[in-house]
Amino acid sequence: MSTVETSAAIAAIVGAVVAVVGCAWHVRWMFSLPFKGDVATAKGSASKGVMYAYTLGMAPWEKESTRRHMVGYLRGVLFHVGIFAALVVFVASPWATVIWPSVRLLLAAVACLGGIAGLLGLAARFGEHNLRAISTKDDYFAVALVSLFVLTSALAVLSPSAVPVFYVVSAVTLVYLPFGKVRHCVYFFFSRFAFGVFFGHRGVIEGARSQ
Amino acid sequence: MGKSDNTELTKKARELLRKQVDRKLAAALETCVRCGICAESCHYYVADPRPEHVPAYRAEKLRQIYRGLFDPIGRIAPGWVGAVPVSDQMLDSLVETSFASCTMCRRCTVNCPMGVDNALVVRAIRSLLTATGRAPEMLEQLAEAAIMREEGLEYIKDLFLEQIAELENELREKVGDLKARIPVEEQGAEILYVALSGAHTILPASVLFYATGTSWSLSLFEAANYGVFLGDTPRAKRITQRIVDEATRLGVKEVVVSECGHAYTTLRWEAPNWFGKPFPFRVRSLVEVMAEWIEKGKLKLDPTRNRLAVTYHDSCNLARNSGLIEEPRTILNACVTDFREMTPNKQHNYCCGGGAGLVALPEFSEQRLNAGKPKVKQIKATGASIVAASCDNCRHQLGELNEHYEMGVEVIGLAELVVNALVLDKGRVPGKEPVVAATV
Amino acid sequence: MSNADVVLDLKGLLCPIPVVKVSQAIKSLPVGGVIEATATDPGVLADIPAWTRTTGHELISIERQEKLINFKVRKVK
Repeated sequence: MSTVETSAAIAAIVGAVVAVVGCAWHVRWMFSLPFKGDVATAKGSASKGVMYAYTLGMAPWEKESTRRHMVGYLRGVLFHVGIFAALVVFVASPWATVIWPSVRLLLAAVACLGGIAGLLGLAARFGEHNLRAISTKDDYFAVALVSLFVLTSALAVLSPSAVPVFYVVSAVTLVYLPFGKVRHCVYFFFSRFAFGVFFGHRGVIEGARSQ
Repeated sequence: MGKSDNTELTKKARELLRKQVDRKLAAALETCVRCGICAESCHYYVADPRPEHVPAYRAEKLRQIYRGLFDPIGRIAPGWVGAVPVSDQMLDSLVETSFASCTMCRRCTVNCPMGVDNALVVRAIRSLLTATGRAPEMLEQLAEAAIMREEGLEYIKDLFLEQIAELENELREKVGDLKARIPVEEQGAEILYVALSGAHTILPASVLFYATGTSWSLSLFEAANYGVFLGDTPRAKRITQRIVDEATRLGVKEVVVSECGHAYTTLRWEAPNWFGKPFPFRVRSLVEVMAEWIEKGKLKLDPTRNRLAVTYHDSCNLARNSGLIEEPRTILNACVTDFREMTPNKQHNYCCGGGAGLVALPEFSEQRLNAGKPKVKQIKATGASIVAASCDNCRHQLGELNEHYEMGVEVIGLAELVVNALVLDKGRVPGKEPVVAATV
Repeated sequence: MSNADVVLDLKGLLCPIPVVKVSQAIKSLPVGGVIEATATDPGVLADIPAWTRTTGHELISIERQEKLINFKVRKVK
C-alpha cells in the first residue's frame, strides 16, 4: 500500500470510530432522558403499533403525504438504499477484489442511482420555495456530502484506484455524522418507536386496535 | 434584540426547556430532516399555502432555540444549523405560530415519514410562552375560572344547582316523567358524567341516561381543561384533580366525558400519566357509551326521525388521537337514514381549525376561519344538510364556518341526533321539539 | 332603560363563548364601566361568577327570567 492509500485508510477508520462513538453518545444521551411509560389503560397494542411504524407504516402508499409526493419519497428511499450500498462497500472494501463481479456491479449501480437521487434531492431543496424556507446550511451540506459519499462508493467498488478517494470522502462524512443532520439515523428509530407506541396504544392504527 | 435582559431570558428558557425535554420531545426535535412533505397534511397550509404554514417550519422555531441552547454545533456555529438566540422579540413572534397557526391535531405526524410529533413540539412552545407570561389572556382566564369553580364552590354551587333544576324541568317535560332527575353529588352512582358548561351537553345526555336507566351523577365541574391548551401541565393537572376527587368521593365505577375532544383526550390519555398511575375508575367518552348502548340494544331508535343527509366530522382528538373511529359510525348508522362520509375521514380527517383553544381566542378568529376552508370544502362535497360533530370546540368552529361561508347546514352533536331518534317505552318519543343546539 | 355602558346580546351563544365576549368587551371600558348582558345558555350561571372572581371584576347581579339570564358586571381594574 502506498502512503496515500494507507493515510486514506487510517482516516476512514478514524472516521468510522468517530461515527460509532458519536452515535453511541446520542443513544446514551437519549436513554439518559426521562421516559415515562403510558399508564393510561390501552385501547390498542403499543407493540403492534411499533411493528407497524417500522414496517407497513413506512410504505409509500400508506400515507397521504407519500402518495402525493411519491416521486420525492421514492427519490429519498433510493438515496437511502444507495447509502446502505455505500456502507456495504465501505465495510467490504478491504476484500473488494474477492467479491463477485456481479455483486460489485450491483452495488455500484445501486450506489450510483442513490447518489443521483441524493443530488436530485439537493436540487429540489435549492429549487422549491417551501424547502428553501425550512432548510439550514447543514441540510444542504449534509445531502451534498452524503451524495458524494454514495457516488464515490460506486467508483470505489468498480475501480480499486478510486478507493483512497472514497476513504477520504467517507472519513469526512463519518466524522460529520454525529454533529449534523445525518444523526437523524439514530433518532429516526426513537421517533418511529414513539409514533408506534402512541398510535398503537391509543388504538388509532387499525391493526393495533382492540376489538 | 429583545427589550429585556437576554442573558436572564436565555437562562430561563434553558431551564424551562430542560424540564420539558424528555425522550419523546427530543426525538421530535432531532429527527426532522426538513423534507417538507408534511405541508399538505396541514389544514392551514391547504387553506393558505405558504412556507409559514408548513408544520416543519413551525416546529423549526423551537428547534432553533433548542439548538442554540443545547446543541454544541448550535453554540459554536449557530448560522450553520439555524440556531437562534432567545429574545423577547423571538418569543413574542412564537405566540401566533403556536397559539394561532397550529391546532396540535397531529395530522402532520401521521403523514410524516419519520413520525415526528410536531404537536408535542408546539405544546412545548406554548408551555414556554405561558411560563414567560405570553399566553393569550383568554386562555389564562378560562383556566383560572375553572380552578375558581372549585375554590369558590360554596359561592357558585347554588347558581349551578339552580341551572340544573331548570334543566331537570326541561328533562321531565321532554321525557314526560315527573320523576326524571338530573342527579348531582349522588353517592354510589355508577357513572360520573362530566359535561361542559353549556346545557346542550347536559340535557341530551340526561335523556339518554334516563332512557337506559343508568345510575349516574352529574359532575359539579365542567370537562373543559384550558390548562392543556396553555401547555401548562401543573395547571391542567389541578383542573383535572377536581374531577378525580369528585369521582373518588362518590365512589363511581366510571367517568363519562361529554362530547368534547380535548377533555376526553386529557382525562383518558394524558391525566393518568400526570398522576403517575391509572385512575381507580374507567374513563370513557359519551360517544363510546352511546355506541355500546346501541350495540347492546339498550336504546330503541327510529332513524326515520333523522331523515336529512348527515355527514360526520371526526374530531382530531377523538379519532386521530384517541382511536374513537368506529363508535361514532355505529351511532350514526343506527340513528339516521342517510349518513355520508366526508373524504378524507376517520384518523385522516382534516382538522376543522377550531381545536387547541382557538375558538376562545377572538384575536385569532380571522386565522381560524381561514384555516377552516378545507373543512368547508369537505362538507360541501358531501351534499349533507346536517354536520354531526362529537366535540364542542369543533361544533363552535363548524357553526361559525357555517355562517361565514354560508354553507346552509345545521351543526349538531351525536347525542342530540340519538335523542331525536329515540323511542321511549310504549312508543313515546321525547319532547315536542328536537333538541338542536344553536350555532354560534 | 339600562344604565350600562355596553349592552351585550349573548342569546344563542354556547359556553364558554359568552365569557369570551364579555371579557373582550370589558377591555374597552374605563374602570367603573358596566356591561349588561343577556344570555340563554344556563352555563353562564356558573361561568360568569367564576370568571368575575378570577379576574377581579364585580358581578353586580345575575338573575334568570324564564329562559333568559341577565347579568351585570362592573370593571374594577
